[in-house]
Amino acid sequence: MRVIIDGKECEAGYGEYILDVARRNGIHIPTLCHSGALPGQGSCRLCIVEVAEAGKKKVVVSCLYPITGEIEVTTNSERIYRMRRNIVRLLAARAPSGEFIKKLREEYGIPEETRFKVDEKEKCILCGLCVRACEEIGLSAISTVNRGTTKKVAPPFEEPPEDCIGCASCAYVCPTGAIEVQEFEGKRVIWNRAFELLKCAGCGRYFITRQQYEYIKNKHGIDMKEPLCDRCRQKSTAEKLIHLL
Amino acid sequence: MTGTPNNSGKTVLVCCGTGCLANNSMEIYKELKKRVEALGPGFAVRPVLKTTGCNGLCEKGPIVNILPDDIFYCRVRVSDVDEIFEKTILRGEVIERLLYLDTSTGRRVRSHKESEFYRRQLKIALRNIGQIDPASIDDYIERGGYNALKKALFEMSPELVISEIERSGLRGRGGAGFPTGYKWRQCKRVNSFPKYVVCNGDEGDPGAFMDRSIMEGDPHSVIEGMIIGAYAVGSKKGFIYIRDEYSLAVRNVSKAIEDAYSRGFLGRGIMGSGFNFDVEVVRGGGAFVCGESTALMASIEGRVGEPRVKYIRSTEKGLWGQPTVLNNVETWANVPVIIDRGADWFAAIGTDRSKGTKVFSLVGKVKNTGLIEVPMGITLREIIFDIGGGITGNGKFKAVQTGGPSGGCIPEALLDLPVDFDSLDRAGSMMGSGGMIVMDETTCMVEVARYYLKFLSEESCGKCTPCREGIRRMLEILEDICAGRGQEGDLELLLELSETVKEASLCGLGKTAPNPVLTTIKYFESEYLAHIRDKRCPAGVCRKLTSYRINTDLCRGCGLCAKKCPAGAISGKPGAPHIIDVSSCIVCGTCREVCRFNAVEVIGGRSE
Ligand SMILES: Cc1cc2nc3c(=O)[nH]c(=O)nc-3n(C[C@H](O)[C@H](O)[C@H](O)COP(=O)(O)O)c2cc1C
Ligand code: SF4
Ligand code: SF4
Ligand code: SF4
Ligand code: FES
Repeated sequence: MRVIIDGKECEAGYGEYILDVARRNGIHIPTLCHSGALPGQGSCRLCIVEVAEAGKKKVVVSCLYPITGEIEVTTNSERIYRMRRNIVRLLAARAPSGEFIKKLREEYGIPEETRFKVDEKEKCILCGLCVRACEEIGLSAISTVNRGTTKKVAPPFEEPPEDCIGCASCAYVCPTGAIEVQEFEGKRVIWNRAFELLKCAGCGRYFITRQQYEYIKNKHGIDMKEPLCDRCRQKSTAEKLIHLL
Repeated sequence: MTGTPNNSGKTVLVCCGTGCLANNSMEIYKELKKRVEALGPGFAVRPVLKTTGCNGLCEKGPIVNILPDDIFYCRVRVSDVDEIFEKTILRGEVIERLLYLDTSTGRRVRSHKESEFYRRQLKIALRNIGQIDPASIDDYIERGGYNALKKALFEMSPELVISEIERSGLRGRGGAGFPTGYKWRQCKRVNSFPKYVVCNGDEGDPGAFMDRSIMEGDPHSVIEGMIIGAYAVGSKKGFIYIRDEYSLAVRNVSKAIEDAYSRGFLGRGIMGSGFNFDVEVVRGGGAFVCGESTALMASIEGRVGEPRVKYIRSTEKGLWGQPTVLNNVETWANVPVIIDRGADWFAAIGTDRSKGTKVFSLVGKVKNTGLIEVPMGITLREIIFDIGGGITGNGKFKAVQTGGPSGGCIPEALLDLPVDFDSLDRAGSMMGSGGMIVMDETTCMVEVARYYLKFLSEESCGKCTPCREGIRRMLEILEDICAGRGQEGDLELLLELSETVKEASLCGLGKTAPNPVLTTIKYFESEYLAHIRDKRCPAGVCRKLTSYRINTDLCRGCGLCAKKCPAGAISGKPGAPHIIDVSSCIVCGTCREVCRFNAVEVIGGRSE
């Protein structure tokens, strides 16, 4: 079926999301809570666009709006730009540090926040990607707790999470680097829990936690006689883990 | 005034809704019961004693109503039981002091139905409440209950049921006013089974209790409505989602379901037809946001009660991805009446686009508070001044807040607005589930906006950015304004953030959350400006922006204020004008409240 995005005629499959069609056609829509392996949760609202259908205009999130009829999409009208800019401002006021947010702020020309009280240390923008990643791995060792302004990502009872295998996938998907991972003396510390790291049988570098190694072996029946790194360490393992599922 | 001298066929109804129960009505019931049971065998016709659901007059409870004379006693105490039994139940005499006081005439009336409060109402959804024992299915049947179901099952096709509901013009009573018949039709059209029907009894609005009253006081009306709806759309399974705190509602609804099963209104082959339907109670997750449709369904499925992005309607993909009809308690309770009396009858009530009645909980600074059911299209003025009896203490009306926490405040200039879905929307407020809070001149509208945003900031599920962060920052600005830290540009910023929160939020909570701010800015802008520019709270509410002064012309030197002031800030000789020492005054407002000569004045601009 045919849709018009920013004046351009695009071909779309029934039920395909606006974002995917736009990207295929080289139209950029900013996203935050949407990542390739972990499809949209519709929470950051950065990807809002205007949809006109049967003469009526509405604001929707492009990452989750399925195309089921003849629609016209505007991704960057004055109104959308204004609101998107406000969303970036709100995110920046919440979590000012972190490269990702700084870049967005520059892109939207948002000056240093002076009206609101800002917590300089906060990095998490509550996009929910970390929780989704861990859920996808099958562990759900962390989740969002509380409501409203006190909402945050945390392990159960805010204690070192029992179900965590220390894979650091959560930290890897986090767009703002809000999840702290430390590695030293053959140990990895994440979520206040220390994990023993295993050495790669090939190059001899520490690269995987014992629990992660066991988890992959047992849960997924993958035959790994001995731990072997594939160079990119946590980054690629995390990716692989996510891809496997 | 004396009633019929014999006691034959008397029915005594003791209100045992949550409000009356809290005021000891169960004790009253038990005491009355003891006396009835102690009656000797000489009594041919014994008085029948019943507990009923909430009469909607909690503030006047506990309530005891004696039929057939319809003698209506308010604020009954256990110590009144002997007298009621001896005089009224046995001898038919009326006890004047317990009668309902009609505030509009200042007279006590024998039945509350003679009062202005009652006469302007029209009971459809609340038709049985206070009249029947909610635990008795026979009481319900006696008043025509389950007739509509019989009619639907044996005289109407599912299609006909739907077109009847469509023709009636019934719109959802849970907030958005979505046309019920159309919703059912959408669900019927989808060819995927199983299908579900769900009753939304979450009622998270603070202070609202209309749905609770219906579930507690007339649970069968909801169940019957759901069976009819299920028959219409082709569903075999229903859920009644009840707010967790509503333990009495859970109990009464559960009992009603049990009884409906044993009488063959639920289960297999309902009333001898080929139709099967089961229904069960689910206890709510507790949060305000759980009343939102997708959060509610997630909660029934056993997941976290958080809203989800849904561009596909629940009637297509709802509970467990199956077609689902979700309606509010009051919506369901209207259904049997419409089927029974016909769409034309129902459609004749109300306005062009809002048919039937709406239940409101009328609270705040009005003389008569409580649950009311009124025809759509009645004006706010009629509700507040005729039914509500006007403002308490002869104060002056300032605004009425409708629609729950994310509704809006409507000013005096719009008092003649007909109350229906569209008019309230146009005024920037909404019908919501039917909260109605009346405010007088002692209310600060900035503070009101702050209060609701505080609530919403705590109840937002926090999932999406505009709602979580937007409400938080709007609240921050409002707190600043109330504390005298308002800045130029704050109003513009509030308006701009409102747009983003309204348009870009994921669910209805965020999409309506700016209403309290938008309406107060729209109708009471000067009050905001007084706070921001003049550092003055005209209503004398925001402490940092208020100071009090005693008007020496009005003060008679009675000394009451000085006696009551908790800070000891008032001094003066008896008979001579008193003085407030501004530096020790804590702006609690006690002096202003207690002064009988209105000598305490509000002046703004307390120096920082
Ligand atoms: C934050 C939020 C809370 C809600 N709470 C309730 C509620 O407590 N009861 C209710 O019936 N509807 C509530 N709703 C509306 C429901 O989402 C839904 O529209 C309604 O139950 C549909 O029934 P109706 O068409 O009969 O009104 C709420 C909506 C939102 C956005
Ligand atoms: S490290 Fe891995 S297992 Fe632990 S919380 Fe993060 S994603 Fe989940
Ligand atoms: S920690 Fe990172 S990934 Fe997780 S919610 Fe916060 S910003 Fe998103
Ligand atoms: S609008 Fe508010 S309540 Fe609704 S999903 Fe977003 S954060 Fe949650
Ligand atoms: S990317 Fe679409 S809402 Fe976050």
